Amino acid sequence: MARLIPAGVRPWRGVVLGAAGLYFLVPLLAALVFTVDVPNQGFTLDSYTQIFSADGFTTALLLSLGLGLTTVALALLLTLPAALAVRLSGSGRLRAVLEVVCTLPLVVPPVALVAGIGTVLKWGPDHLASTPLYETFVAVQDPEFPIVLVLAYVVMALPFVYRSLEAGLRAVDVRTLVEAARDLGASWPRAIVSVVLPNLRTALLNASFLALALVLGEFTVAQLLGFQPFAVWIVQASGSNAQLSVAVSLLSLVLTWVLLLVLTAVFRTRAARSARAPRPAKNRSDKNKKEAGA
Amino acid sequence: MTITDAPARTGTALRIRGLRRTFGSAVALDGLDLDVAPGELLALLGPSGCGKTTALRVLAGFERPDSGQVLLDGEDIVPVPANRRDTGMVFQSYSLFPHLTAAENVAFGMRMRKVAAAERRTRAAELLELVGLPDHGGRYPHQLSGGQQQRVALARALALRPRLLLLDEPLSALDAQVRVNLREEIRRLQLELGITTVFVTHDQEEALSMADRVAVMRGGRLEQCATPAELYDRPATAFVASFIGTMNRIPGRLASDGQAEVLGVTLPVDGPAGGATAFLLRPEALDVTADGPDTVIGSSFHGASTRLRVRLADGTEVKADLPSHAAGAFGAGAAVTVRPQRRPVLVAGEEA
Amino acid sequence: MTTLTTSSSPGVGDALDARRPRRRGPRASGSWLAALPLLAFVALAFGLPAVAMVDGAFTVNGSYGLGNLDQSVHGAYRTALLGSLKLAATTAGIGSVLGLLLAQAVVTSRGRALREAVLTASGVLANFGGVPLAFAFVATLGNAGVLTTRLGLDRHGWSLYSFWGLTLTYLYFLVPLMVLTVAPALDGLRPQWREAALNSGAGAWQYWRHVGIPVLLPTLLGGFVLLFGSAFAAYATAAAMVGSSIPLVTLQIADALSGNVLIGQENVALALSLDMVLVAALVMAVHLPLQRRSARWLA
Repeated sequence: MARLIPAGVRPWRGVVLGAAGLYFLVPLLAALVFTVDVPNQGFTLDSYTQIFSADGFTTALLLSLGLGLTTVALALLLTLPAALAVRLSGSGRLRAVLEVVCTLPLVVPPVALVAGIGTVLKWGPDHLASTPLYETFVAVQDPEFPIVLVLAYVVMALPFVYRSLEAGLRAVDVRTLVEAARDLGASWPRAIVSVVLPNLRTALLNASFLALALVLGEFTVAQLLGFQPFAVWIVQASGSNAQLSVAVSLLSLVLTWVLLLVLTAVFRTRAARSARAPRPAKNRSDKNKKEAGA
Repeated sequence: MTITDAPARTGTALRIRGLRRTFGSAVALDGLDLDVAPGELLALLGPSGCGKTTALRVLAGFERPDSGQVLLDGEDIVPVPANRRDTGMVFQSYSLFPHLTAAENVAFGMRMRKVAAAERRTRAAELLELVGLPDHGGRYPHQLSGGQQQRVALARALALRPRLLLLDEPLSALDAQVRVNLREEIRRLQLELGITTVFVTHDQEEALSMADRVAVMRGGRLEQCATPAELYDRPATAFVASFIGTMNRIPGRLASDGQAEVLGVTLPVDGPAGGATAFLLRPEALDVTADGPDTVIGSSFHGASTRLRVRLADGTEVKADLPSHAAGAFGAGAAVTVRPQRRPVLVAGEEA
Repeated sequence: MTTLTTSSSPGVGDALDARRPRRRGPRASGSWLAALPLLAFVALAFGLPAVAMVDGAFTVNGSYGLGNLDQSVHGAYRTALLGSLKLAATTAGIGSVLGLLLAQAVVTSRGRALREAVLTASGVLANFGGVPLAFAFVATLGNAGVLTTRLGLDRHGWSLYSFWGLTLTYLYFLVPLMVLTVAPALDGLRPQWREAALNSGAGAWQYWRHVGIPVLLPTLLGGFVLLFGSAFAAYATAAAMVGSSIPLVTLQIADALSGNVLIGQENVALALSLDMVLVAALVMAVHLPLQRRSARWLA
């Protein structure tokens, strides 16, 4: 097949890859230089050593982690039964409804969502001050742990979590698995927990990662509602110490990277184990290779 | 003739001379010589890795041979790029352009050749009718079954009236029933159009039932090229013998007159005998009679015939085909005698 | 700015289900029950704010009217809307082309390691929007940025806090997003199609013109609108980087919400939000059918 591409066309690839490498690496390297080569100070690692002692860092980070974990838990708790129900019942209507419901949040940008949420929150003092509901309004806005952010984040994560689970469920024949488990005497909940969920591990991990990454980097909703998780804190801190906020930004990127690499590694071992039935097309190209190489 | 594809020329002769193709250190084609007569259907048969696909791809122009010639009516087409060759190819599967309808797929080559739109439409319709899909021109590939897709692919391959038709395992991705139907239809069309055809397959039944001649390949070389009957009855090598159909390998000894003695029967030997100690016999060349030193260990029913598995007195396991009414007498565990019929036998090579 | 990395192939499971008879299992009512918490949650956390937004957008001085919407497409708001559309169109256009080139370079390369590395990196970078991205670029090309000071870019009139500065920054997550979108499609281009085209007399150029590009077109268009929507809705990067020196609709809404502008503009902010929703809905309306089509072609 190599012959189909004239040999002279090759260099474009090097140019593209080189330019892309430059574009994507330079900002990272420059940011690194920026943090360790401070004007009037020369080389210093202060930006990194200061991070943990920086005012409000730990609080903000813990808040973000707490929000992230809560969001992941709530999103999975809500989505998993629904996605399973679609697969198990085969109901086309339920499936269509969920498909629409889980696509809708993509249509509302975070800024627009927060505008709506802000309006709802204002109803509290405006209309409900004398009712018990008011307490709830105050509670969800507790700056220590603003539940309202969790609500917003679950909505924003919903499309990704649902599709990720959907894709995972598609890959395993849930119905047969459950039926086999039931035939062997397992109760419904037992069949789900001990047979279906282990087979969905990759999808669950993937969904969790997507949701967690979304929350840890989320700025828009938190800032506009006046809370201060991690991303908002970085911006706040940049006012007094630019180096520090860039250093934290870099670290957060590295952290995401590591998370994704771990996930990819998990993916790969899973994929290697479950590579039982290759598609005909794949089969074909393998066969070609074999023939060519034999 | 109702078909507009009456061969413009009276068929094209294909000659392959000394074709060699290597991929790194691996040799895919090791000096292949082959002649295909005008209007003939030749099947390239062999295990995977034997070089049959590479050979076809060289014919189509997708691979360049390291050396050798491909002569189409005496003209070497090796230097001709794939898109200027007069060949039509049907791929294993999924080769239809997904964004075009069946009719547009068939007309694709004519579009490349700047044939007028009206003529393209007429001819595409004719070709679709020819392959039995007159009403499917407007469908997209994903709306067609696997068998229908391959019919369209066949129509597309024939659209430019190629001198050479190349079929690369076109049936292997289909269901058994569809496969048999389409097999017969391809053969019918090929005969009607009189188009010289090379057909690659790893399915011996397919090759034997469709082809005028079958070329058995191994390790990039030609083992034997002969008619299906000849290949079956007079395999030139032990590899061909064991690759085509089922063979029993039975110990025996060479008598002084050059005849073989197998299971107490003296048989003529086909080919040089050397110092043979084992001989090859087809299951239908064995007779089974009641009582004796051999034991039936199993049987499988194939309609008119039944195949018995028998363990001989010396421990060798053989297969014997009997008419089903005769085989009914022998259940598993029955004591029987296996005797070869008086037919020439082949000497078993060391690898069979 | 989280990106979907799992591609789904609709239809595969359906066919499976269709062939199956209904068997013992949770009844349809039971399955709706299982989905109830999710539906109730969405109604509360999404439906309520959405209703509030629409309600507010149409409320002028206590009664319903189109005044806010009218205001949201005039004057400074109009400038902001157009600014956002222009930025989104520019970045999506450039991002699509560059993403396609990069994906093709990766897909056609022999090295597996390169391919894996680029795709994994794309997965991370496509999610690398927002604040960290803004700061990385500020540190690189901002007024005190490493490249700005060392190369003296400011003397040549460079400013990161401009339309093109923002474009350059957005591309950092948009190009990887495009790579993730088109790489599977490029992989899906079957070698048989190229060979069948050659066999039918097409040259390399004709192959791309009549087969390759048309087959990729739904994916390319789908990728473009995805990038467009992503850039249009982006707020964090711009907010952390340029403040409100560039007119963007997201920045305008934020300003209005935080009361940085005249009191009483909240409802105009809601109207602007509604404008954004309309644009985003349009994007999805274009994107989803395209995605479905390319999934069917390239599955």
